[in-house]
Amino acid sequence: MENIEKQVQEHAKKLLAEGKADVIIGYEKGTLPSQTAPCFITDPDDAGRLVWNRFCSVNLAKYAHDIIFRHKESQQRTKPEERTKKVVGIVARGCTTRSLTIHLQEKQYDRDQIVIIGVPCTGFIANKKISIAVDGREVVECSVNGDSLSVKTKDGGKDIPLRDVLADNCLTCRFNNPIISDVMIGEAAPPMADAEREYEGIDEFENLPVEERWAYFTKEMGKCIRCYACRNACPSCYCKTCFVEQSQPKWVGAGIDETDTQVFQIMRMFHTAGRCVDCGACLEVCPMGVDLRKFLKKLDKDDFQLFENRAGESMDSLPSLSVYSEDDKEEFIFEP
Amino acid sequence: MTEKANENWEPKIIAFVCNWCTYAGADLAGISRLQYPPNVRLIRLPCSGRVNPFYIVKALQEGVDGVLVSGCHPGECHYISGNMSARRKFALLKNFLSYVGIEPDRTIFTWVSASEGEKFAEVIKGVTEKVKALGPAQKLVKKL
Ligand code: SF4
Ligand code: SF4
Repeated sequence: MENIEKQVQEHAKKLLAEGKADVIIGYEKGTLPSQTAPCFITDPDDAGRLVWNRFCSVNLAKYAHDIIFRHKESQQRTKPEERTKKVVGIVARGCTTRSLTIHLQEKQYDRDQIVIIGVPCTGFIANKKISIAVDGREVVECSVNGDSLSVKTKDGGKDIPLRDVLADNCLTCRFNNPIISDVMIGEAAPPMADAEREYEGIDEFENLPVEERWAYFTKEMGKCIRCYACRNACPSCYCKTCFVEQSQPKWVGAGIDETDTQVFQIMRMFHTAGRCVDCGACLEVCPMGVDLRKFLKKLDKDDFQLFENRAGESMDSLPSLSVYSEDDKEEFIFEP
Repeated sequence: MTEKANENWEPKIIAFVCNWCTYAGADLAGISRLQYPPNVRLIRLPCSGRVNPFYIVKALQEGVDGVLVSGCHPGECHYISGNMSARRKFALLKNFLSYVGIEPDRTIFTWVSASEGEKFAEVIKGVTEKVKALGPAQKLVKKL
């Protein structure tokens, strides 16, 4: 991994120095030992700040969209012939490149506006799982040694097997290597062991009685404080004005009514149908630990089973709600 | 939901129908003097593809007991493919709502063409029966 980190830094430096990218989006050391933060490098001499490790969690595609989009907006009053394009370099693992693919398919920017530094990925560590493992105590030191994570808290140390702290979406990931890239760093990572079991929890949940499902849904959504961090972190949630902020019509109330939260969640998740890449960014940033994945993965499962699509798996397979087929299944249609 | 215990409870159902087929089908049912339950309020839209999934979820939140969406049969859409795009959305939406725990029969999708006045009456009967069997909507309903 150190080697990968070095190469990421070198490539970033080179891209900036040669003027091939205006900014490099990557991860840097965070303020907490178990976290990294997204960073934006514009000076080649700063490339040394970039890191690549198991704590690189959020999906950086979000920022690529943000930067390009903001720049475009800022040029609205510039004469067309004087407008410039932002070129963004981005450190991307498998799920990040899937999100970039979706942006490209949805014509958010051109392929030449992103330079993808592809990195192989073997999964990131979910902060919540560390927290649970140390009973919520403050982590003062944290490092990965081979297959285990050693965590130090004020009251002592602990070694946790890596498997127990990897994010759920990583454990069953099918796309841990970049789908598209301009430079590829390191060797392709081996596939994740549990990819075939990705829908296990979903099948189980589907078979519960309807009341139990509703009880679980309301319990989980009851935790949500509507901070919208999930939306803000999601690369597929890029609308200029999100429905939660619209006032004409006012789709969801802004109060504390529980049905407003449920409707918000149902609709936000539904808006990612066929577009959610299971990157886990929303889960990672949620301060309340809402089990969004249980529901997002259902959309993912149906998407695959009904339309044989996996979001962003290649440039040719468009998000399933952007296309249709005459032979789509329609068992759900009511015939009296 | 004070209506709950009431034996004379009648469901409120919202139907989003397309202008070109189902609405015309409803017209035909009307001029043919076919009888069907009066529980359904029709909302006419240009196409079933115009039905934003949000309309359905919002209707449920506002307290309707059931939502019906009906458009032209696939292949007969006035806008060629509106209903086929809609079909994908609805397939996912119906599954998703039922997955989170809303009874599947609260959201019903069907196709009724302009010449199917009788089918329209049958659909309304069927939907009303299904929703009646479920009783008043409790889930997702905003209580004021
Ligand atoms: S919904 Fe969550 S897991 Fe899916 S793409 Fe958005 S942030 Fe990633
Ligand atoms: S991040 Fe979590 S608490 Fe915040 S709005 Fe999303 S689900 Fe709710």
